[in-house]
Amino acid sequence: MKDVHVDEWLVDHVRGELDPVDRARVDAHLSACGECRASRERFAALMTELARTAPAPPPIHWGAYRADLRERLERRASGGGWLWAWLVRPLPALVAASLVALLVMTGLPAGLRAPGTPDPLALDNTILASQLDMIARLDVVQQLDLLEDFNVIGELDELPEPQKS
Amino acid sequence: MESSDEQLCRAVAEREPGAFDLLVERYQERAYRIAWSVLRDREDARDCSQEAFIRLHESAGSFAGQSKFSTWFYRILVNCCLDQQRRRRGWRRLVGWRGPRADGPDEPDPVEQAPAPFTDPVDGMDTERRMTRVWALVEDLSPQQRAAVTLSCREGLATKDIATVLNVSEATVRVHLHRALSTLRRRLGDEG
Repeated sequence: MKDVHVDEWLVDHVRGELDPVDRARVDAHLSACGECRASRERFAALMTELARTAPAPPPIHWGAYRADLRERLERRASGGGWLWAWLVRPLPALVAASLVALLVMTGLPAGLRAPGTPDPLALDNTILASQLDMIARLDVVQQLDLLEDFNVIGELDELPEPQKS
Repeated sequence: MESSDEQLCRAVAEREPGAFDLLVERYQERAYRIAWSVLRDREDARDCSQEAFIRLHESAGSFAGQSKFSTWFYRILVNCCLDQQRRRRGWRRLVGWRGPRADGPDEPDPVEQAPAPFTDPVDGMDTERRMTRVWALVEDLSPQQRAAVTLSCREGLATKDIATVLNVSEATVRVHLHRALSTLRRRLGDEG
């Protein structure tokens, strides 16, 4: 019985598109086969729902659409189409290369750096922090050479005598 | 009397001024809506629908009038959309994007299983507000099934016209539609 089912003719039967011969054949089968009759009813309900609830596309401005179309048509007619296509083709590669160059120039983001590599900014901060104490005593630091000389003079008597040859 | 679409297309082929603008005005909303239904991205839908109009302008002379103008134009449009999806899928593969898989017994082909494209989160939020549960499930269908459902249930195209648009046989369209609706029914049943 399965080989005489008319599954694939049911959509056309619902839409009334079958020629008289095929329609008579499907009608004859439907009158004898409850399974196909039920399928036909379910298809009919589904097709009605699809037609009734078809979603509307997002709205667009038709004036701008036609102006854009006219511009594309003129570009194509003037032979600019192939040139434009040639120019546009390497665009993704160009964008990718620019991005890589930008990353190299600005330094890699922290997340992409190899583990164990110090962050240059953190290193700068550490050096600066170590120098803060020195900066706080700047007056002493500025006179360090002089103080060193004073120290040498003060301890002159403690210096070993130069050996006579 | 108003010119038919087919007459306007012939006028575009002969570069009659104003003919192209008239056709654009007639079809811009449908083109954008179909592209958005397939791509689910505002900018891509705008871009693809415009590209379809440009191709129409370039190849209006090749319209033989064997099918309706709308069917011929939708074929150009859907091809643009599917090309765009393939390009996006290529980019996603390149960056290692992995989407959800839903291996059902009806859809063993992994290419057919390609999920709906990634969309910008902001655009996605906007889309979510517009989407009912059943259309949200349509998102998970393959591009061909989604296109078939959109063209059939939303745009009201007949099976033979969908076959022309998707460049497949009518039997294939029937299979796409049957599998798509069966999948939707099963998933709605699972959720309910």
